[in-house]
Amino acid sequence: MSKERESVKKANKSEIKTKRKFTIRMQKKLLVLFGLFLLVFIGLGARLFWIGREKGEQYSRQVLSQQRYDSVTLPFRRGDILDCNGTSLAVSEKVYNLVIDSNVMLSRETYLEPTLAALGSCFPQLDMAAIRTYITEHPSSRYYVPLKRLTYMEISAFKVMQNDTAKDDEGNPGPGNYIKGVWFEEEYQRTYPNGSLACDVLGFTTRDGTGMYGLEEYYNDTLNGTTGREYGYLNGDSTLERTTKPAVDGYTLVSTIDINVQSIVERYVMEYNEEYTNHYTEGPGARNIGVIMMEVHTGNVLAMASYPNFDLNSPYDLSAYYTQEEIDNMRETDIDSYYEALNAIWRNFCISDTYEPGSTFKPFTVAMGLETGKLSAYDTFLCEGSLTVVEGENPIRCHNRVGDGTVSLEKAIATSCNVALMRMAFRIGAQTFAEYQRNFNFGLRTNVDLAGEARTAELLHSAENMRLTELATGSFGQGFNVTMIQMITGFCSLINGGYYYEPHMVKQICTSNGAVVENIEPRVLRQTVSESTSDLIRQYCTAVCDPDYPGATGKKARPAGYVIGGKTGTAQTLPRGNGEYVVSFIGFAPADNPQIAIYVVLDRPNMKDQSTGTAEAAIMARNILTEVLPYEGIFMTEELSETEQRELEQKKLEDTRRYTQDIPSDDTENDSRENDPTVHMQAPWMDFAKDPATGYLIDPITNQLLDPETGYPVEDNYDPIQ
Amino acid sequence: MANRKKRQGQNEYFFDYSLLFIVLFLLGFGLVMLYSTSSYEAAQKYGSSTYYLMKQLRATILGLAGMMIVANIPYHFWEKFYGFGYLISLVLLALIIPFGYESGGAKRWFRIAGLSIQPSEIAKLCMILFLAVMICKMGKSIRSWKGFAALMLLPMPIVLMVWKITSNLSSAIIILGIAALMVFVASPDYKKFVLLGAAGIAGVALIVFVIVNMANADGLNYRGERVLAWLNPEAYVSDTGYQTLQALYAIGSGGIWGKGLGLSMQKLGFIPEAQNDMIFSIICEELGLFGAVAIMLMFVMLIWRLMVIANNAPDLFGALLVVGVMGHMAIQVILNIAVVTNTIPNTGISLPFISYGGTAVLFQLAEIGLVLNVAKRIQLKEV
Repeated sequence: MSKERESVKKANKSEIKTKRKFTIRMQKKLLVLFGLFLLVFIGLGARLFWIGREKGEQYSRQVLSQQRYDSVTLPFRRGDILDCNGTSLAVSEKVYNLVIDSNVMLSRETYLEPTLAALGSCFPQLDMAAIRTYITEHPSSRYYVPLKRLTYMEISAFKVMQNDTAKDDEGNPGPGNYIKGVWFEEEYQRTYPNGSLACDVLGFTTRDGTGMYGLEEYYNDTLNGTTGREYGYLNGDSTLERTTKPAVDGYTLVSTIDINVQSIVERYVMEYNEEYTNHYTEGPGARNIGVIMMEVHTGNVLAMASYPNFDLNSPYDLSAYYTQEEIDNMRETDIDSYYEALNAIWRNFCISDTYEPGSTFKPFTVAMGLETGKLSAYDTFLCEGSLTVVEGENPIRCHNRVGDGTVSLEKAIATSCNVALMRMAFRIGAQTFAEYQRNFNFGLRTNVDLAGEARTAELLHSAENMRLTELATGSFGQGFNVTMIQMITGFCSLINGGYYYEPHMVKQICTSNGAVVENIEPRVLRQTVSESTSDLIRQYCTAVCDPDYPGATGKKARPAGYVIGGKTGTAQTLPRGNGEYVVSFIGFAPADNPQIAIYVVLDRPNMKDQSTGTAEAAIMARNILTEVLPYEGIFMTEELSETEQRELEQKKLEDTRRYTQDIPSDDTENDSRENDPTVHMQAPWMDFAKDPATGYLIDPITNQLLDPETGYPVEDNYDPIQ
Repeated sequence: MANRKKRQGQNEYFFDYSLLFIVLFLLGFGLVMLYSTSSYEAAQKYGSSTYYLMKQLRATILGLAGMMIVANIPYHFWEKFYGFGYLISLVLLALIIPFGYESGGAKRWFRIAGLSIQPSEIAKLCMILFLAVMICKMGKSIRSWKGFAALMLLPMPIVLMVWKITSNLSSAIIILGIAALMVFVASPDYKKFVLLGAAGIAGVALIVFVIVNMANADGLNYRGERVLAWLNPEAYVSDTGYQTLQALYAIGSGGIWGKGLGLSMQKLGFIPEAQNDMIFSIICEELGLFGAVAIMLMFVMLIWRLMVIANNAPDLFGALLVVGVMGHMAIQVILNIAVVTNTIPNTGISLPFISYGGTAVLFQLAEIGLVLNVAKRIQLKEV
């Protein structure tokens, strides 16, 4: 019953609805509606068709023009310069320029503030106010570089922030999504890890990657690679293709320079300079100082140093030689003198400057005579202290006013007798003298692979122009000009059996991966003298440095335990009698089988009597050889005297101290100290005296102010004295 | 007895496979296009090219499950919820003010357990149900001006709330449009609607005229700017007209056959969030006029199927439900394509089943489920 009632109820209920039918009229209206929809769809289809037909071409072009398929330049890496053992002398590091694209940064309101905030937090050196001003004033700028040459370390914090685009746990987009309009342009920066070491040999590189001076300039094209390019283009189907032509890195140079020899040489150059700075007059220890060391049998340059030098990493820094005031003054009033000053520190004295060699030329004169047969090993010459070359003119004096008496060839060289040499030159004659000068490559370039070698063709007398006086003075190296590299290369040929090797600084060229491109082998240009002449010259030069030879001029150059050969030189400068000299020592070791040649030149040493500077040149050569010869594997052959032994031990101790002075001495620590952690970390600087003005500690050796906590030198700008 | 008869009729099971197929095709095609369009941006932003695809796939699977459930619930079951649905819509929309989740400068979503839900999508479905029941209840009084006005005023609170609270004019227009279409089908005459349509067109023309003439004034809000950008998109390249113009570039560069699936250039950052409202422009670019027309034909077929089901529905309520769904689909497709082709000013309307949007696809599939259930009740004997 109840079931029935329920079904009735249901029926009634459903009646209400079933009564309401979707009428034919409604169906018709729905059909009309569908028709309307259809019409609208047809209209939209027509609209699509119209857009495609009328604007299709224009819009296609628009789409393509929006693609950024402009080409991007990929920088190449300039090749490194290594020393002969593979130690880096010059390297290129990747650096980054910060580029701001205002257009992108302003494209959404949500970008500007987060991006500026990120920039401000990651680059504290940025002037954010200036950047904000720039962006608001140049809203369409796409390339603005506020910071240059940042290292990867400096930009990595920003990069991390920029790449943090993933959503966090709550679904909020990462901060990187709002950092837009900043990118980094890659570039390479040349750095010189050893600062000023071998500065004149290496040369430096301008910002645009052009080498200046030295190897950097001479091998500029070799060191530079080929710039790569990334570019897009549209292929036949109008789709964008991207092609990358990678940059080709430059070749690496392996130099013949040995960084150890070079640093020994430079240390003694600086030591001499420090000692003689402001010695007689105010100024550096000498106008120029040059030292070259060369392998006698290859022409490889082991070391080449000159003073004044400069820091390769800041080549425009003149502050070592001038006060800031002077520099400013030069830049404002006389820009030429500013560049002259820069040029003076940049130029390589060893190859670019010419001077009269003086007595170091005497072995060449003797060799000429021997080689042409105009002199024999048994000839003797009379020296009366001076010689009147041309009647009526002042006689040319020997440095020994009294006269050396009868001198053999050996004595003439050993005591450096001018009169004997003049007499020899008269026998040789101007024709042969001039010819042989050129045989020894004087007047010609040596073609050493360094930029800036001086031309000397005009600085030599030709046979026709050589009168008696010129011939006479020429015999002892006055009256014509040479370069250091000419002298040492010629001298090597004199003592190595007559083989004139082309001097060179680079022994190998490699690709950036280390594959050898070219080995530069020693190249003999010509035979200057015969083997027998060479033997005699070696014998005579050995006498110069023989401590037992009476009157020998080069005794001071002999390093303890070795027999070496050499020749001193004390050359007058023009005008004669001005008291200015170029003093030098040229030598080789060991005496019987020369391996290494050394040439030291002090251009106008800062002394009262400059002619006595020759001893300083010889001493510098000895000091250098004392360290370099054992390093090069050339062993002592002579017994050491007691004084020499003591000196050597003293020197060894100094060397040890030099390398160990930074290490704290192991004090005897008592128990209470060991238990105290602060005292336990007692560092050597903590005992230094305190500067009353600043509270910093003063290093007694360098006079630098040290931070009492860390022991690091305090920045100069904190120095209250300045 | 009549009851029993009906049951027997019902035993001849009808299921509208054509409709299901069309919807599944649109969904599958939509996912392919969504991946093609969004992969670049997803990889850029989230580091995974399938970021948007996976989210949409999840919503789609959920939606299909929901659709099958709804398709098996007799549609009369929903009848008693019409008032409740209306109320729920009002409450949810009001709750947006304190609890809404803001994204892209508009407050339109709730976030519940990692899912974002858009109340305006719920409101659309509730409005269809509400109006269907109301029209059934009104009966013949719908013919009078009073009844007509009542039916047109009833959805107004919801429409205004959607517009003002969620500042989503497009959804408001869609809801109003659904209401208008349902009333149009239900009421017998044309005169009122012709008048109303004419008044509407005149009103829109007047608004456009006013906006154009005050173009130089500063007081223009972003909708006004959009109207100006619509009339001359090239002049507003830097901001309002940018998206429209980029979409036009995409359509224009597609040609007849398109650049090929996945080869769009405009999706590479030029059309921002191309997977949302502007996906049709990428379809045009990649598949050309041919692909675009094919997709439009699929939508026409969908609407045609809905019309057939409505015309064969067992009762007015079922028919009106289907008409509401049909109106919803048609309006949204038409407005979306019209926006993309710059036929009307830019306003955010997504393309059903294809555009990215989880809530939208969920509720659209629920509507299809409803329609499938109505289709089930069709008495085959009479066909």
